[in-house]
Amino acid sequence: MPAELTQEQSPGNQTSLAMMQEPQEMVEETVTVEEDPGTPTSHVSIVTSEDGTTRRTETKVTKMVKTVTTRTVRQVPLGPDGLPVLDGSSPLGSYTDSIDRRYLKNGERYLPPQASSTLTRSYNSYGEGPDGPYRSFHAHDASGGYGGAELPDGYGSLSRGIGYRPRYAYVPGNSYRPEDGSYTLPSRREAYGPPGAQPQVPPVGSGPDLTVSSRSQPERFQPEPYGLEDDNRSLGVDDEGYELDPDYSTVTRRLPAGVPERSRPHKGRAYDEPSEGEMIDERIPYIHGGYAAPLAQPERGSMASIDRLGKRSPSIDSIRKDPRWRDPDLPEVIAMLSHPIDPVKSNAAAYLQHLCYENDKIKKDVRHLKGIAILVGLLDHPKAEVHRRACGALRNISYGRDHENKVAIKGCDGIPALIRLLRKTSDMEVRELITGTLWNLSSYEPLKMVIINHGLQTLTNEVIVPHSGWESEPNEDSKPRDAEWTTVFKNTSGCLRNVSSDGAEARRRLRECDGLVDALLHALQSAIGKKDTDNKSVENCVCIMRNLSYHVHKEVPGADKYQEPEASQAASTGALPRRKKDDASCFGSKKAKEDWFSQGKKNGGMDRNFDTLDLPKRSESAKGFELLYQPEVVRLYLSILTESQNFNTLEAAAGALQNLSAGTWMWSTYIRAMVRKERGLPVLVELLQSDSDKVVRAVSIALRNLSMDRRNKDLIGSYAMAELVRNLPSRQQRTAKNLEEDTVVAVLNTIHEIVTDSAENARSLVQTQGIQKLVGISKSSQSMREMKAASHVLQMVWSYKELRGALQKDGWNKSHFQTAASSAPKGPKGTPGKAGYDDSTLPLVEKTHDNERCGSRDMIPMDELGPDGYSTIDHRERKYRAGDPSGDASEKEPLKTDPARKPPHRSNRASVNLVDGRDPKPPPVDSWV
Amino acid sequence: MSYVPGQPVTAVVQRVEIHKLRQGENLILGFSIGGGIDQDPAQNPFSEDKTDKGIYVTRVSEGGPAEVAGLQIGDKIMQVNGWDMTMVTHDQARKRLTKRSEEVVRLLVTRQGLQKAVQQSMLA
Repeated sequence: MPAELTQEQSPGNQTSLAMMQEPQEMVEETVTVEEDPGTPTSHVSIVTSEDGTTRRTETKVTKMVKTVTTRTVRQVPLGPDGLPVLDGSSPLGSYTDSIDRRYLKNGERYLPPQASSTLTRSYNSYGEGPDGPYRSFHAHDASGGYGGAELPDGYGSLSRGIGYRPRYAYVPGNSYRPEDGSYTLPSRREAYGPPGAQPQVPPVGSGPDLTVSSRSQPERFQPEPYGLEDDNRSLGVDDEGYELDPDYSTVTRRLPAGVPERSRPHKGRAYDEPSEGEMIDERIPYIHGGYAAPLAQPERGSMASIDRLGKRSPSIDSIRKDPRWRDPDLPEVIAMLSHPIDPVKSNAAAYLQHLCYENDKIKKDVRHLKGIAILVGLLDHPKAEVHRRACGALRNISYGRDHENKVAIKGCDGIPALIRLLRKTSDMEVRELITGTLWNLSSYEPLKMVIINHGLQTLTNEVIVPHSGWESEPNEDSKPRDAEWTTVFKNTSGCLRNVSSDGAEARRRLRECDGLVDALLHALQSAIGKKDTDNKSVENCVCIMRNLSYHVHKEVPGADKYQEPEASQAASTGALPRRKKDDASCFGSKKAKEDWFSQGKKNGGMDRNFDTLDLPKRSESAKGFELLYQPEVVRLYLSILTESQNFNTLEAAAGALQNLSAGTWMWSTYIRAMVRKERGLPVLVELLQSDSDKVVRAVSIALRNLSMDRRNKDLIGSYAMAELVRNLPSRQQRTAKNLEEDTVVAVLNTIHEIVTDSAENARSLVQTQGIQKLVGISKSSQSMREMKAASHVLQMVWSYKELRGALQKDGWNKSHFQTAASSAPKGPKGTPGKAGYDDSTLPLVEKTHDNERCGSRDMIPMDELGPDGYSTIDHRERKYRAGDPSGDASEKEPLKTDPARKPPHRSNRASVNLVDGRDPKPPPVDSWV
Repeated sequence: MSYVPGQPVTAVVQRVEIHKLRQGENLILGFSIGGGIDQDPAQNPFSEDKTDKGIYVTRVSEGGPAEVAGLQIGDKIMQVNGWDMTMVTHDQARKRLTKRSEEVVRLLVTRQGLQKAVQQSMLA
């Protein structure tokens, strides 16, 4: 069904667009973070090396301290494995170095020098004994791989395998080589020193740092080779862990090295300059500027580790200058992913992540070199630093417009592997990486269902539910928990937002996913409670809700039971059709005494008392997808519409109301009445003044759907007409807002709906000077669609004979109302030519029935509002997709403040009057149990 | 039956044991409740004291578990499985009654007829 596709896509597009734009941003940021860890280390290392030359002692100390921290964490786990005499010293050394470096950079910024210094000393003392350090090292190294590696031979083999000498340059290499001496590996002492410290470390790091430290270790290794920039970002953005580490060692070093100045600049750069080119530059600068002025070769980025070594060891200098050292090329790096030694793997992955950052070429090359499959394989690696680094690399690779990379990840079963890892790990950083990667992947249409199939329930159980604060079996005695707007939640909701746009089946799966809708609603309620409705997570949640509300009246199991008889639609005027209670959910007949309670509504919502509205009773509170369309949600969306400043969120909330009020079943009847009862009409009308095109459009369509309720139509006609007309372009000028064609058409269609069957509303259109604008549009608009839509309205107005006198008095005659474009019949349904288009926006039942995916009639396709007039698809997204990325930027960052909106432009009259005075106080609650 | 906050309440109560009925996925009791400390007590047609914010039985489904167990419209629920129901919100009461893990609910209820019946029997 092409039509369907369109519709669905539209939502999808929206999502995807949003995703694409936002995600990209988001993703990139995330990516950046990841990369940062690795890169920073390298820089640090460089610095150290330089320092090391001059100030070995100090450096060492610092390093020691740092090392200790890191190791402590890891050691605990690794210790058991460690080979006794492996000489892990080298590995340790590498760890130490890397750590220190990192810290230096980071630390400079963050860490309190004092603390670090203290630690250092103590450690130093420990580390002094060469033997001591070694031993400790081994223990730490625990990892079998290391043991082997330690030996020089091992190195040789490794390097051979890799095929390049410099391997050592890599972090791992350094650590290994201690014995080789020939290598520039850092002095053994240094290496060892750290180990000694390690034992002590545990206590130090035992606190909150553990997690961090664990991360840092791997990172340290990796980072060394790469640019610092990343680190900065990561620090700034999310990683506190880093900061912690820095505290220990960083400060110390910096001080001695005199590095601090630089470090700051770095940060700035890192943040500001995400682009690769910049990154490269940064590396060099680092080298030169801070520390390694002597070394100063741009190429070194990766070699940083070597440099460090050199620093510490006397022979370093020679090594540095040794032309043999070079960065490994891409095939070598990918080969290292399969290296038997774990730290080599993790460093290689980290380096890959760094290389891939904002470099589509490298990403593509990695794919062609079969690197993606190897990275995916590493996701199941038992060592945290390995799967973390692999995940980081995959996140960067998965980001971008090149869908081939996404497909490649999926092609080697990367999605189930990511989900597996998510279930397995409790490390927040890893979880952020996993969900960030999935978010990236979810922006590609063909992968959406794959993600749903493999990960929907896991994402819900592991992230959405726990972070939303929702509990399926709440303890009555405890307060409900609030949602936590974590990065993991943001990423996951973004992913689900994308996949929720993948059509009817995707919607069905999400709706029926246990706990998902409940948790999303809880999270949104929590957001409203805390008045925190502008953030990205809320936006994602509302968008998911909006998408899941789409076609809910057709797609939900048992929807048939609730369909309104066709007749009722027509009768839906003054008195809403009285709906028989759902017998299934309520036993027995009402008793006489029921008068009070019969009007009761469920907590917060089931108002059976509107006009003649009679909500069905339930034997149990709604749950799961039923929550999507319970009248209670109206209050939720209205709160968001009142509170949020985020245009995307506003649009989505209005879109949700639009979707819910569009249906042909009794729930949409209730929703329409509920919006009135909850005083939602003034809220919506006020939003017609929004500066955001899409918000105006969504609100306009929502009003159109709402006006299927007769009382709503009367109220909207009386009090919203002026605002609607104000959004129309006038002859002399486009609207101040210069709304897009889609929006103008939406407004015109809404006006059409309002004046249909209501001479009174047509009269108010005349009184608000709407005719002048309509005639202008119908005669001279650049847009065919606008012309036709305006013509239809004019025809409708002219059909009220009682108005003709007044119209002619104003100087209008029949020719103004009978334009070429409008030779069609007046009825909304009978619209000519563009009928298809009109239908799409019309909420009427018939249309819906006519074609399931009605909106999609040939004509309307993508540009039109939505398949079903009421659908809340994003047009933009489509456009974005189609083309220019540039537009994304603006969307990405929704304007925070919309002065125009909040300031009470709205007339008091409207706001006051739109409230239906007849709405009674909320009746008492009455619950079936 | 009027109550002074903070003072002990004396009432004649009846035990009602309701075995929930499985209806699809749900366990149902077959009655509905009104009232609660978060509701407007003045609208409660069953209470003698219009300031009483207790939980009242507002409807009983015919042939349902509650009717079988002898629950009547207008009964005031004092306890549910030992939990006090005289000072709870509507929703708390509902949740207390609808715990999925509990197949049987034991209520302590009081109703005007009970009070009178006891008085009469004592007089007699």
